Amino acid sequence: MNEIILITLAVLSTTVQVVLLVIFSIITGWFLAYGSIKSKIFENIYIIFIEIFESVPVITFFPIVLIIFITRIGGPLGTQIATDFLVFTAVVWNIWMGEYQAFKTVPNEMVEVTENSKFGLFSKLRYLYIPFSVPRIAANLFPSVSDGFFYITVSEVFTVGIHSYQTFGVGSVLDTFVADANLHAIYTTLIILGIFIIGIILILREFSKYAVSKYTLDTDTPVLKRGRLNLRETTRVFAALSKNPLSRLSKYYKYRETENHEEKYEKKQKKKKYYKYIYAAIGILVLILILYESISLILSVKISTWDILFSKTGYLLYGLGYDYLRVLTILLVSMLIAIFLGYYLAVNKKAELFGIPIIQTLSAYPAPIYFPFLFILTEPYIISVFGGFTNELYVLSLGFVSTFYYVLYSFWMGVKAMPGEYWEITRNLKLGFFKKMRKVILPSTFPYLISGISSTINSAWGGLMIGEYWPDIYGTHTLEVHTGLMKTIDLATANGQIALAAWGSLIFGIVVAIYSVIFTRRMMDVAQKKYVAEEGIYSS
Amino acid sequence: MDANLKNQTISTAILEAENINFSYDNGYKVFENINIEANSGKFIAIIGPSGIGKSTLLRLLGGFLKPDSGTVKLMGKPIYEPIPEVALIHQSIVTFPWMTAEENVMLSMKTKSMSHDEMIKKARDSLSRVGLDGFEDLYPKEMSGGMRQRVAIARAFAADPYVFLMDEPFAHLDELTAEGLRQDIYNILFSGETPLKSVIMVSHNLTEVLELADEIYILNNIPASVVGKVEVAMKRPRNPRSDEFNSNLDMLYGYLTPPRKR
Repeated sequence: MNEIILITLAVLSTTVQVVLLVIFSIITGWFLAYGSIKSKIFENIYIIFIEIFESVPVITFFPIVLIIFITRIGGPLGTQIATDFLVFTAVVWNIWMGEYQAFKTVPNEMVEVTENSKFGLFSKLRYLYIPFSVPRIAANLFPSVSDGFFYITVSEVFTVGIHSYQTFGVGSVLDTFVADANLHAIYTTLIILGIFIIGIILILREFSKYAVSKYTLDTDTPVLKRGRLNLRETTRVFAALSKNPLSRLSKYYKYRETENHEEKYEKKQKKKKYYKYIYAAIGILVLILILYESISLILSVKISTWDILFSKTGYLLYGLGYDYLRVLTILLVSMLIAIFLGYYLAVNKKAELFGIPIIQTLSAYPAPIYFPFLFILTEPYIISVFGGFTNELYVLSLGFVSTFYYVLYSFWMGVKAMPGEYWEITRNLKLGFFKKMRKVILPSTFPYLISGISSTINSAWGGLMIGEYWPDIYGTHTLEVHTGLMKTIDLATANGQIALAAWGSLIFGIVVAIYSVIFTRRMMDVAQKKYVAEEGIYSS
Repeated sequence: MDANLKNQTISTAILEAENINFSYDNGYKVFENINIEANSGKFIAIIGPSGIGKSTLLRLLGGFLKPDSGTVKLMGKPIYEPIPEVALIHQSIVTFPWMTAEENVMLSMKTKSMSHDEMIKKARDSLSRVGLDGFEDLYPKEMSGGMRQRVAIARAFAADPYVFLMDEPFAHLDELTAEGLRQDIYNILFSGETPLKSVIMVSHNLTEVLELADEIYILNNIPASVVGKVEVAMKRPRNPRSDEFNSNLDMLYGYLTPPRKR
């Protein structure tokens, strides 16, 4: 097959998969969100589920995903489902959370209008809940599509023990070109992927603009068109001059003669209760299934294996400590850049006009695709300067390029959303840059910063997972760090030690969930209580 | 509304609340033995101190909330849930921003067995009735507050309600717009071109209440109950600058003492 056609088809296949999975997430999210507002039991299970999985980086599920889909289903179908499931888990959480938040915040008055007209489930979804959720979906599409591309390109080719699995897409095609050292094809792939991503970003930008202009509840837009008001000079006396008394009368009696209202009401209430019970039952069923799967998985592991796993727990936690230091470094560098660059973009219109689309495109361009080429180009120079610290630096860099956009983008949005009065005060008081930053900008963008920091941390783990142990990054060269939990999980997966990989993932998941409860949520609460200026948290 | 029906049903309760008791989920008792009767052709106003539960009462009358005891009846039949025959118009202007004025109005006909063309025709009639001829294709964001409230009223009209429940419908409008809309709405409500039989409005604006109402129910005390009912005998149109109007206004103010716990 012609190389360009092959590459285009591969990029198209990857893109279509990402887009379809995003659409699937959106559609399922509507029904789940509706279930959440109808049944408290379902809501509790659903939200706990989302919050845990949202805070645990998607890549760490991979060993468990592999066990389920590859060893149980097997074949190309198992591989394809494993890849799609991984990407689905990358794109789905923030979309589901956004839809849930949207459904929860639909104004009661609007719900009352639909109740007044006796709308059923689908009418309520169609005319109220779904349109209301569109701006939040639009806001979540950028990170979801970026994450989707990031993870699909790394999951199209993977190795477990002696087995290699791959599905057709840009990741697997590029892997073949790299193995053949076909530079021309590699560059062509990068360019075609870039074109597709720019196209998607442009479409998403237009969609976001459309969503905000059409679906938000902003009511302060100035009146665009006024016309003649045709008010009828009628009075109550006109009641005596009604045109069609019979039709009115028949309507009146029609209403009076309708079936027993009490019975009808009882029937409806029963129907409503059924929906409630169905959603509650689904929630409980999901919980039971998760518990059942977890318990059967635990029981299937031999006691001797447990002994080995427990004995390695200390080492795994030590590796996790190392990884937290890496994440902290990535975060600090990202914040430093975000604060200066984000501020510059927010106050400089020309820079913003070009800068933001470039940043959005770069964020959607999957780092695992282009990073090996950066590595090849720069390694000789980096080694000469950093020596033994080179691999560490590359891993930190991969974590950084995978993630710094989130905090930058959030901070930029925060500065843009600052009330005009704040700017006037800073001018009035003639505050210098650093004073302005410390006293006004950082506090008022705090909710955005926390939101960005949270996303940056979550995504940094993905970069570390790929970078800490990257066999054959080019030729036979392997990029790896000395110590790190992500490296241990990677190695265990590659060597077929699924139990160890899953144990590492579980420990990691627990620590991240605790961290999320202790730190992220508290900071979010502080941000909401103390620093929120015009709904910063939700907008970001 | 046809004249015969109106004559037949004069003094017949269109919407009535009998011995309504209601508490919030936290146990706070809001209402005790509320009795309200809205007869055909009457504009009823409910007033009371701030926080007494006027809006809550309106939702009980519309079936949006279920009383702990007591019943709400529409033309003798109990109401257990919201129904299109009793239309609620909100204090905050509720229009759906993703729909044009016409689509907003058509919303209240979606559950009826009507063809699309019939819906469009009726929506246009309703918009025309509230003075929005030629504005069918505008989105709410392209309209002023007064126009959007007219769209909300047109939407309520399109459902052919017998009773309008109005929750401070002019509160979010500037005084000039509100004044114009009040007069227009009153004329439209009882023009006889719709099946509407009665209106119940809650408001804290006593001038507005005196301008519009035939009967005024006064709520007070904790838990709230009806402490008085005033029949407004002033001729229409009512002049807010007249001595008669002002003496009535003073009398109403006298009722609005801060609520006391019984």
